[in-house]
Amino acid sequence: MTMLSRLKSWEGFLLAALLLIIAANTVLSPQFLTFSNQINLFQLSIEKIIVALVMTLIIINGEIDLSVGSMMGLAACSFGFLFANGVPAGLACMIVMVIGVIGGVLNGYFIARVGLPSLVVTLATLIGFRGLARVLVEDRGITDFPDWFDALGQQGLIGQLPLSIILFFLLFGLFYVVLQRSGFGRKTYLIGNNRDVADFAGIDTARHKMALFVASGAISALAGLLFAARVGAVRGDVASGFELDIITMVLLGGVSIFGGSGSLWGTLLAVLIVLNLRNGMALLNITGHIQTGVIGVLLIASVIAPRINLGGLLAAVTRSEGKGT
Amino acid sequence: MAQPIMQLRGVSKSFGMTHALTDLSLDLYPGEVHALVGENGAGKSTMIKIMTGVYQPTAGDIHVDGDVKKIQGPQAARDLGVAAIYQEPMVFPDLDVTENIFISARSEGLFRRPARQARKARELIARIGMEMDVDQVASGLTLAEQQAVEIARALSEDVRVLIMDEPTASLSAHEATRLRAIALSLAAEGVAVVYISHRLEEIFEIADRVTVIRDGGHISTRDIAEVTPDGMIAEMVGRDVGNYLNKAPSTAQNTVALQIEKLTLSGVFEDIDFTLHRGEVICMAGLVGARRTDVALSIFGVEPATSGTIRVFGQDHQITHPRQAMDAGIAYVSEDRRKLGLAMPMPIRANISVATLGGFLNRWGILNQDAEREVAENYRTRLNIRTPDVEIPVGTLSGGNQQKAMLAKWLNMNPEILIFDEPTRGIDVGAKAEVHDLIREFTAAGGAAIVISSDLPEVLALGDRILVMREGQQMGLLTAQEATQERIMVLATGQAETMEAS
Repeated sequence: MTMLSRLKSWEGFLLAALLLIIAANTVLSPQFLTFSNQINLFQLSIEKIIVALVMTLIIINGEIDLSVGSMMGLAACSFGFLFANGVPAGLACMIVMVIGVIGGVLNGYFIARVGLPSLVVTLATLIGFRGLARVLVEDRGITDFPDWFDALGQQGLIGQLPLSIILFFLLFGLFYVVLQRSGFGRKTYLIGNNRDVADFAGIDTARHKMALFVASGAISALAGLLFAARVGAVRGDVASGFELDIITMVLLGGVSIFGGSGSLWGTLLAVLIVLNLRNGMALLNITGHIQTGVIGVLLIASVIAPRINLGGLLAAVTRSEGKGT
Repeated sequence: MAQPIMQLRGVSKSFGMTHALTDLSLDLYPGEVHALVGENGAGKSTMIKIMTGVYQPTAGDIHVDGDVKKIQGPQAARDLGVAAIYQEPMVFPDLDVTENIFISARSEGLFRRPARQARKARELIARIGMEMDVDQVASGLTLAEQQAVEIARALSEDVRVLIMDEPTASLSAHEATRLRAIALSLAAEGVAVVYISHRLEEIFEIADRVTVIRDGGHISTRDIAEVTPDGMIAEMVGRDVGNYLNKAPSTAQNTVALQIEKLTLSGVFEDIDFTLHRGEVICMAGLVGARRTDVALSIFGVEPATSGTIRVFGQDHQITHPRQAMDAGIAYVSEDRRKLGLAMPMPIRANISVATLGGFLNRWGILNQDAEREVAENYRTRLNIRTPDVEIPVGTLSGGNQQKAMLAKWLNMNPEILIFDEPTRGIDVGAKAEVHDLIREFTAAGGAAIVISSDLPEVLALGDRILVMREGQQMGLLTAQEATQERIMVLATGQAETMEAS
């Protein structure tokens, strides 16, 4: 029975799907389960995965941040620009983090204080941040960063684990506690469910949303830096389009696009599924376009799933008596 | 009597393991107003849905004009002349009155004929004794007018059985009177009117027969002359609740809790003036549009007042956000549970703790969910919230129990001053009595209460004083001794502008 009730939740379904994919991949390729393949798998998408954590909170809160990819690009390009103009890399990193915070404040101001829809505001900053990034580096690629900087992105920091993966797990822990255990997390769900109820309960919902968008800007800037370090070079189109992959992972994880429900475990499972599925398909020499198509089908399934009521379906099978809407 | 238009014969309906209706029979005769009463969750809604073809019965059948009929869907019900109107009218806000009335007019041929339809719409509106411009869009209509549009729509489809589900729950007293007159005139034309209401006095005013259902089963059907209010309530709840509308002795003390002076929100209300004492209940009466809720929202900081003073225990307060009102000890229990009161998909536990979340956090901001659960369990017992578990979504509770969960949220704040906005609207008699007891318990312990209510018997039963408003103006502040239903209505309708404003 516990097995059944676990399966009823979307997370349960994702877990089952993940195990299936891992099993299939292991059969297909003996290299699949090796530590280095798993690290490699993670590292190729690590920046998106990190941003997906904060995106989970934003979407549960009933908002969206489309500007994350552009902010990653702006962060990477600002770093390149500053470095190329003689600013020491360490100081440049700090300035870039400040830029991330400022970008978040900008989004947050228009969304939380002025009350504009986040879809529109972050669409505007998606364009704006990207434009700024292109202005900074123009058509150049900037490269030749200090060795220590590249090493942070490319080499293991603790054993084989690079900084970015360590950061991901630290951030996962932090966000998990914040979302599922803290008062801030409770308010995140509450506001996403019904902002008026939160307002009437004396909660400063504008400040809450501001905090989330600032976190989103800062984490996106951090992810942009990690990207620059891993690739060792920046261009104007760094991380462009990443926002869609990130949102896809969050929605696939069962977070409702209307806000109010979802969990960080769901996002983590969805991330693992996307990574392993892509990896498995790559092992089978399936092209990237078809891989993308498969992910798209999965996403549609995740949106439909709550409507067909997996639990009800299972209950109907076991009881052979369906329940009305 | 003539042959019944519609008969339910041994109708049952179950959802999985839940039996919503069991072996229910009912005859509806042309020209009768048949009241249907029962607590929330007794099965009234399920019954309506079966009669209007939304649900199919699991057992039993429905006869129309003596023949067995299967009502396969809402359209089939309309074809048989069965229509229902609800507390919340279902009109299309952007269509005009005529378009709303003829929304499903299939007999009209391929093309709309606006002039002819408008003329017919005017006739239908006139037939139910209303006046309105049939070219205006529905979003500009009052609730009462929207209901009239729905009734006209039913009439345009030759309604024979009209089900009115809590039609007056959101109406002011005189709109409700007019609606009851419409119900009576339809019955006089030979329509069978099924009338569902929690306001017992209106049942005694218009019903010919009363059917009581409880727990999905038929309890009794009698002529109204054979029924007493107490007897009916006892049958509904299956126990004797006593007369909850009796006036209890006042618990007012001398300490002033809240002093409102010349409170004004420009364009909305002006110069509201009253003093509320510890242990006292001031009821705010008035028709829809009297702006009572706006006054409450200003005191609570949602719509900050533009001028005037709010003094709490002798101290002036600038209140521009609910947080400041709450810090001053003021709580507001909204009338709109769905939009402003509860996060329906979230657990009961999380809804009860929401106004006092800070008290459940440790210094790292981590929630103590065990403490939350304990508090929720306490209120479940104390307020008799009927649920198997405080972890289930609050939206799955019945209206009365949702109301209690909402009260629990605010009681947990330990407020000094509690504003109740329509605390018993749309909840059953048993729950009503419980809510009244709670309000009295709160004031007996020294709390000060403001109760906004459109239910005059409730206003008279609860209020130590009664503040009557009309279109943003304070028309009078009556003591319990002075107040009568007539006196309140005279003030609320503005018939006494010159002679009576005190």
